[in-house]
Amino acid sequence: MSLRLGQTLKIRAMAYVAGEPIPFFWPMRSFIHHNPLHGLEHHPFPEAVARGERLFQARGFLPRSGYQRYLRLGKVDRAALGAGVEAFLAQREAVAGIDLPKWILALMTRMDRPVVAGSGLAREADVVVALRGGPIRGTVPGADHVRARLREELLDSRPVYEAVDLLFGTGVGAELDELVIKSCLDFFDEGQSVWSMPGRERGFFAAWREIARRSGRLYLRGLHIGRILRDEEGPEAVIVRVMETLGVGEGRWTTYFTRELARLHGWAGFIRWRSGARHYYWAQRYPADLVDFLAVRLALGLALLGERARTGPTTEPELERFIEDRWREAYLRHELFSGAVLPAMAARVERTLAAGRPARIERLYEEYVAAKRAEEARDQAERLQVLAAMSDGQEALSRLSAEDLGRLVGILRDFERGEGMIWLNAMENRAVERLLGGIRPGAPPADGKRPFAQALFCIDTRSERIRRHLEGVGDYETYGIAGFFGVPVSFMELGKGSEVHLCPVLLTPKNLVMEIAVAQGNDDVTALTVLEKAFHELKESVLSPFVTVEAIGLLFGFDMVGKTLLPERYNRWRKRLHQRKPRTHLLLDKLSREQADSVIRAVQRAVIAKAIAQEFGLEAEQIHDAVVRELREVAMGHAQGAPKLAAMLGLDATSEQAFIGRLRTVYRINPSVVRLQMERLGRLGFSLDEQVVFVAQALKAIGLTENFSRFVLLVGHGSTSENNPYESALDCGACGGNQGLVNARVLAQMANKPAVRRRLREQGIDIPEDTWFFPALHDTTTDELRLFDLDRVPASHVVYMDRLRKGLLAASRLCTQERMPTLLPSPASLSPAAASRYAARNALDWSQVRPEWGLAGNAYFIIGRRALTQSFALEGRAFLHSYDYRIDPKRRLLETILTGPLVVGQWINMEHYFSTVDNERFGSGSKAYHNVAGRFGVMTGNLSDLRTGLPAQTVLDRGFPYHEPLRLITVIEAPFDHAWRAVEEVSVVKYLVRNGWIRLLIVDPERHCVDVYEDAAWSRRPFPGTVQSQPAEESVPS
Amino acid sequence: MGTPGLWSVAIFLPLFPLSVIFNALFARVGNAPMRAIILLAWPQVGLVLFGILPPGRVAGGVVALAVLGSLLYAFRAIALRDVDRWTGYIATSAWALLWPALAHHAAIDTLRLYALGFSVPLALLVLVADALKRRFGAAYAGLYGGTVRMLPRLAGATALVVLAAVAVPLFPGFFALVAVMVTTIPEQPWLAVCVGLTWLLWTWGGIRLLQGLIVGPGEAVAPVADLSRVEFGFYVLTLALLIAGALRLPGVTA
Repeated sequence: MSLRLGQTLKIRAMAYVAGEPIPFFWPMRSFIHHNPLHGLEHHPFPEAVARGERLFQARGFLPRSGYQRYLRLGKVDRAALGAGVEAFLAQREAVAGIDLPKWILALMTRMDRPVVAGSGLAREADVVVALRGGPIRGTVPGADHVRARLREELLDSRPVYEAVDLLFGTGVGAELDELVIKSCLDFFDEGQSVWSMPGRERGFFAAWREIARRSGRLYLRGLHIGRILRDEEGPEAVIVRVMETLGVGEGRWTTYFTRELARLHGWAGFIRWRSGARHYYWAQRYPADLVDFLAVRLALGLALLGERARTGPTTEPELERFIEDRWREAYLRHELFSGAVLPAMAARVERTLAAGRPARIERLYEEYVAAKRAEEARDQAERLQVLAAMSDGQEALSRLSAEDLGRLVGILRDFERGEGMIWLNAMENRAVERLLGGIRPGAPPADGKRPFAQALFCIDTRSERIRRHLEGVGDYETYGIAGFFGVPVSFMELGKGSEVHLCPVLLTPKNLVMEIAVAQGNDDVTALTVLEKAFHELKESVLSPFVTVEAIGLLFGFDMVGKTLLPERYNRWRKRLHQRKPRTHLLLDKLSREQADSVIRAVQRAVIAKAIAQEFGLEAEQIHDAVVRELREVAMGHAQGAPKLAAMLGLDATSEQAFIGRLRTVYRINPSVVRLQMERLGRLGFSLDEQVVFVAQALKAIGLTENFSRFVLLVGHGSTSENNPYESALDCGACGGNQGLVNARVLAQMANKPAVRRRLREQGIDIPEDTWFFPALHDTTTDELRLFDLDRVPASHVVYMDRLRKGLLAASRLCTQERMPTLLPSPASLSPAAASRYAARNALDWSQVRPEWGLAGNAYFIIGRRALTQSFALEGRAFLHSYDYRIDPKRRLLETILTGPLVVGQWINMEHYFSTVDNERFGSGSKAYHNVAGRFGVMTGNLSDLRTGLPAQTVLDRGFPYHEPLRLITVIEAPFDHAWRAVEEVSVVKYLVRNGWIRLLIVDPERHCVDVYEDAAWSRRPFPGTVQSQPAEESVPS
Repeated sequence: MGTPGLWSVAIFLPLFPLSVIFNALFARVGNAPMRAIILLAWPQVGLVLFGILPPGRVAGGVVALAVLGSLLYAFRAIALRDVDRWTGYIATSAWALLWPALAHHAAIDTLRLYALGFSVPLALLVLVADALKRRFGAAYAGLYGGTVRMLPRLAGATALVVLAAVAVPLFPGFFALVAVMVTTIPEQPWLAVCVGLTWLLWTWGGIRLLQGLIVGPGEAVAPVADLSRVEFGFYVLTLALLIAGALRLPGVTA
């Protein structure tokens, strides 16, 4: 089958649309927090959650018992619960004799399982009879009713194989997932496998097709995939043919594809992201997209179904006929294989279906349905009685007519469907109350005193604690700014050949920054590095691992003992064995064309000298500049032959040309590479104008435009952990899941430049001459604050360095002291020194699954001046972005904050929310079972979907949520009109607010009131004034 | 040994297709203690009958039929979800493996111990299945998961008893299997391979059963009580005694 262009494009468009609800999955080397329901953000939050629950077969809210626990801990606003119940009941008719508010509140707060259960077989009259203890008799549902239910359950929204599995217990879906995962692991591998899949350059589908048609493994499993795949067909044609063979109407293809993609949403999300990541090396080399993925999946699915075609229905029309003709059998099969069967009759149903005699099946159907109906009626009655007892309504319940009971059950069912939102709102209300009780609106009195140091921290929630402690230990002022300091950087690290984007994933950096060594590095490769390389090569070949393990396996036992018993000392010792990175500077200024040309020439000369040394074993003193120059000219095609080299080494013409050829191909000394390098160098650095803009923007965004202190610290952050594939999840999200140090170094270098300061002065930002910008790094695992680029510090500042270091050390220790009890098995009060020791051990312990809590606990995003929250310990739960509306009359700065940092904060918040409410589906389950897949993700066990989201150890504590799942409560400190207009002008944020993905509060310092956006309306309230501690309603062991 | 004698023994040390008799009877008995007694007594009756019959050579074909029948039942048990039927099939598969030992003239007393080693864990499994039925309505894999969280003691007892039933090392079934394999290897190595394969299938079936009974997300059911400490202690103690006994099985301690 060959498709016309129009049809091909239609399939591609369908796949694109089908993939939209599937969240991106970024490689874990640079973990990006994301909202798993990002593709549904155009819907209001409750609706999106309901859709997400169906699509991902997941839970969108905590189970009721989880919320009840929060209620006992005093973290739920009871009044808000009552108001929620009242609002729900306002639209419903009362049930005579039943105190509905009381019943529903009892249901919410005292009953830990659903009150409405069953498949709907039991009628109201049956429940009434069950309530009175009578025998339940009645007619069984008719054929049409059963057929309609089966069609709805099996045909409307499921892939065909899922329906087959639910009717025949075949497990095709699981087998298909396994085969697709294996195919993905083969194709997408990024160097983990020693033998890679052949033909990957041709794309996923083409490479897979070549393998699949010759695959003995598939053939042995009885899958004749070759019959489905034909030479001339592209993936689109395969998709069309499979869908037509399955008999699925074209109008449902997009929904069908979405369902297929959602089954392995980790892999689908990775492919979806990868197909759009133009800069991604592996995507450039081995292209793949969702159309390929769907074609592979559908072809394999059809092959698996074909294997079973002789024994039962395997297409939609056949399933339709089966339901039409053998509806009783279909019903019983569905009951058995969906797990809904009455346990007491399961074995009998299984045996009867296996025997396959229609008469026996008919008899069993009658008996089974009657039994199930009675069972459901009794179960429903029992649940209602339990609830009635909790609400003092047993008598009223016993007097209800069948009609009233039906209405009561209907109300309870509706309530349970929407209950999660009421709990969530009530929890958020309590969190809002707590915040409003603690903040102090209004500008701080300006004392005009110059602080000893000012420190700019990332808005990350982990900065809140250390900022508070730093302010507490001395005369320090702190500010919050997105951790990339507003400078999107594409960074090439010393010794690395690829660029890393150090900015939020929403941005693409235009400027490249290179790191160069300023101290003499040791060119000799250490013995340990050579040994490590040799070991890896031995480990990765075919036969040598068997011998290697026998020969040197014991050595790794020592390694294991060292890492386990003495992690700190052992790691320190190991570090010493490795080469230290030399001191470096960043190439920050733009190069002129001449300078760029000169740089390239210099690099080429160095490469040629190295090539001569390596190829001919010459020492540096034997390689003359003239020879190098001559070779460069020849390699670049500006001259013919290299007589000086030939004469020096006695080479014949063939050897000489062979070496020149190698210079061009292996060492890449040729004109096309030079063109590429010139292009890259064109991106290198920032012009003076750009530098001024970035510095001015960063300072204005946080309101730091005057009263600069002697030291201004730009504190990026990163984490330290061992044996942790999620390490980058603990790094800076604003730096694309990398450490924030480079961005800090870049901005510091810019801000220290006299030319930049002169231009800033023209804009009214007068940075005194004695102000020095320091890059620093906050290690969030140990809370250590380290200063960098100290070699550039002016001599005038050295005398103050000791005081600065002591202040930073004190803040670090106090912060660790506050934080460590949450990480210990049992909370205990530790001295600052002891807490620091624990933290240091956590960072180096390879068995530690939770080196730190990361961003767990995040709940607030506060945009305003520091004074607003300075006196209020937010326990590391708030993103704090400094902002002074007084210097932003046009709202540009606020809009920038809303567009970037707030959106990233919302992704982080939603990632934590959904990973907490359903860690298995939206999170990634326990880390203990994770294995790295293809060097870009993790799987549970040896084969699973790519695990997206956060692991249990990040959001749960001993099975209970550590992270409180709340939507991001965002506070903007500004006059109402100023803030609301800014929100309205940033459409992404406007819809996030209007659709309820963000809870927005505007603190108006001029009118002294707070405006809260709730249920599509604003409500205004005055400041509460003082902190009201919320005592726990009951003490609950955590 | 005459044919009528062989037939009667073949009912109690089940040879296919006579094994159907045991399984039909086992399926009809609903009372758990009675089932446990049947499991303990059935092979012993077979061995007693074998002992009182005139001595004679067990034909090679009978041994082959027994081992292949054992393999068949083990294979069939993999797909079973009903714990009672699974118990019956594993019992049938295990007892049939006594035939190779009978053919090699092993002491009847030793074989009684082997039979007991196979039967006791299965008898315990019947009691565990009864505990599951009382709580969930059936002992049937895949209908309710998460018992390990909801009912840790019952889940623990289930796991230990199933492991004992599939003859994992240290339990007597394992040593009985090893003894049977060791006696068969010199003359009929392919039979030893079949015995090994049977064991593999038992463990496979056992793990599938456990997967469907104790792990996975738990259903929101009405709260049910876990095993009491005393009940749990009973299972643990019995299994510990089995292990202690297994280490002293004839042919093992020598």
